[in-house]
Amino acid sequence: MKKPENLILPAAMMIGLLASSAPAFAHHSFAAEFDAKKPVTLTGTVVRLEWTNPHAHFYISVKDQGGAATVWEFELASPNGLMRHGWSRNSLKPGDVVTVMGYLAKDGSKLANARSVSLPDGRKIFAGSSEDGGPTQ
Amino acid sequence: MNNPIRNIGGFGLLLVAMSAYGQPGRGAITGAVKDPVGAIVAGATVQAMNPKTGAVVKTTSSPGGTFTLGDLPPGTYDISLSIPGVAPFSRKDVAVGPGAAVRVDIELKEGSQLSTLGEDSLAIAADMKRHNPPSGPTPRTADGHPDLSGVWWSPRTVDPGKPEFLAGAVEVAKKRVEDNRKDSPQVHCLPSAVTRVGPLYQFVQSRAYLVMISDDDSPGFHQIYLDGRQHPKEPDPLWYGNSIGHWEGDTLVVDRVNFEEQVWLDQEAHPHSDRLHVIERYHRVDLGHLETEVTVEDPGVLAKPWTLKRVSDLAPGEEIREFMCAENNRDLDHLVGR
Repeated sequence: MKKPENLILPAAMMIGLLASSAPAFAHHSFAAEFDAKKPVTLTGTVVRLEWTNPHAHFYISVKDQGGAATVWEFELASPNGLMRHGWSRNSLKPGDVVTVMGYLAKDGSKLANARSVSLPDGRKIFAGSSEDGGPTQ
Repeated sequence: MNNPIRNIGGFGLLLVAMSAYGQPGRGAITGAVKDPVGAIVAGATVQAMNPKTGAVVKTTSSPGGTFTLGDLPPGTYDISLSIPGVAPFSRKDVAVGPGAAVRVDIELKEGSQLSTLGEDSLAIAADMKRHNPPSGPTPRTADGHPDLSGVWWSPRTVDPGKPEFLAGAVEVAKKRVEDNRKDSPQVHCLPSAVTRVGPLYQFVQSRAYLVMISDDDSPGFHQIYLDGRQHPKEPDPLWYGNSIGHWEGDTLVVDRVNFEEQVWLDQEAHPHSDRLHVIERYHRVDLGHLETEVTVEDPGVLAKPWTLKRVSDLAPGEEIREFMCAENNRDLDHLVGR
C-alpha cells in the first residue's frame, strides 16, 4: 500500500538532516580494513555464522574451477544493528548457498566485508529491499 | 528545440524538451538516485545551487527514487547529494535551458566508512524509516522534573557549531584520520569519543542519578549523579569523565570533567587536554523529542568554547541489546594505516 506523502516526507527530511551529523556507526574505519577499490563477488556454501560483537562474521566455502575449496570470511555489522532489520542468528545456516558481494581486506587475507548477500533465487538477505522493510519501494 | 536529445560531456545527461516545469522560460533537473549496489534511494535530499546567484533549490527523492528540481531559472547549476555511509555526490556545471529538463541520474559510490551490511547507507535509511516518535506531553517524575527515561535514536545534529581547534589538535586529528583511525580506542573495544552517541541509547532516570546506556560502545554506560554532590576534589580521570547534573527549570544541566587522556574528543578524531570540560543541557520538549546542547570547553585544544545542538527522537519499541565488544574483536589483526 502506498504511503501518504505526508508520512514519507518527515523521514525524508530527516535523512537530509542526518547528513550533516557524524555517523554514529562503525567499530572501526572501513578504510582501515577493506579496500573500496577491490570489490569481490563470491558464491559458496555457508560453513558457519558467528553471531558476535563487535561484528558478526560468516564463512563460505568457495570452489574453484578445479573443485578445490577455499573458505572465505565475511564481516557484517554488529548483531544489534542486524537484528533491527530482521536478521537473526538463524538467518544464515550451514549448507545455505549464497552469493556475496563485498570488498576485499587490504591485508590480503581471505576476508571481505559483506555488502549484499543473495540467495540462489536472487532474493537479497537484508539489503534494504521492500521485502525486509528497507528503503526500496 | 531543434535538438531534443543530447549527451553532455559523456555523463549521460539527457536534455529533453519539456514544458511542464513551472513558469514559461523555466527549466528543470530530473533523475533517479541509486545506492552503490544499485538499490533505489528514497527520501534523499538533492540540492541544486546556482553558484552565480547563490540560489539553492532542494527536493527529496520519491519512494521510487526519482526527483525533480523544477521551476529553475535558466543557468548553470551544481548538483549535490549527501547521505550517511556513501561518498557525497557532486556534479558541477549542469546547464539548464528554458523550457527544458536535464536528466541527472545519481549513482552513489561507496564511502570510506560504514559500508558493511547493517551499517551501510541502506541500513541508516531503514533506521530513519523507523523514526516515528509519539506525540504527547513531556513525562515527569513524581518530583515534577522532566523524565528523560526512554530509548532514543542517535541524535541528529541540527547545529554543528563552529569548533576552532588549535593547530596541535588539528595535526593530531589529521594524522589519526590519515592512519585510517586504526589506533582509535574504539577498535580496542574502549569508549569511542566523548561527544559521540551510539545508534541507539537509553536514559534511565531516578531522583539521584541518570544512567546513559549505549548500544554500541564499551562498556556503554555511565552515571550522571543528580544527588547534589560536587566533582571529586582529587581528579580521578575516567573514560566517560565525572558527571554531575542539576535542574535549571525543565533543563537538566550536566557537567563533565576529569576525562581519561586516551579518549578521543569527537568522531573527527580530535584529542583533548586535561582541561576538558563538557556541559550538556538536556531538554525533553515533549514525549517524543529530546533536545541536547553540548558545549565543549578545552583551552588545550580549542581556541574558544564549541557548542553544538542535537535532537533525538524517542524510539518506542526498540531495545538496547548488550554489546560485548571484546567477545570476538578480530579486526585488530587486519587493520592497516595509510
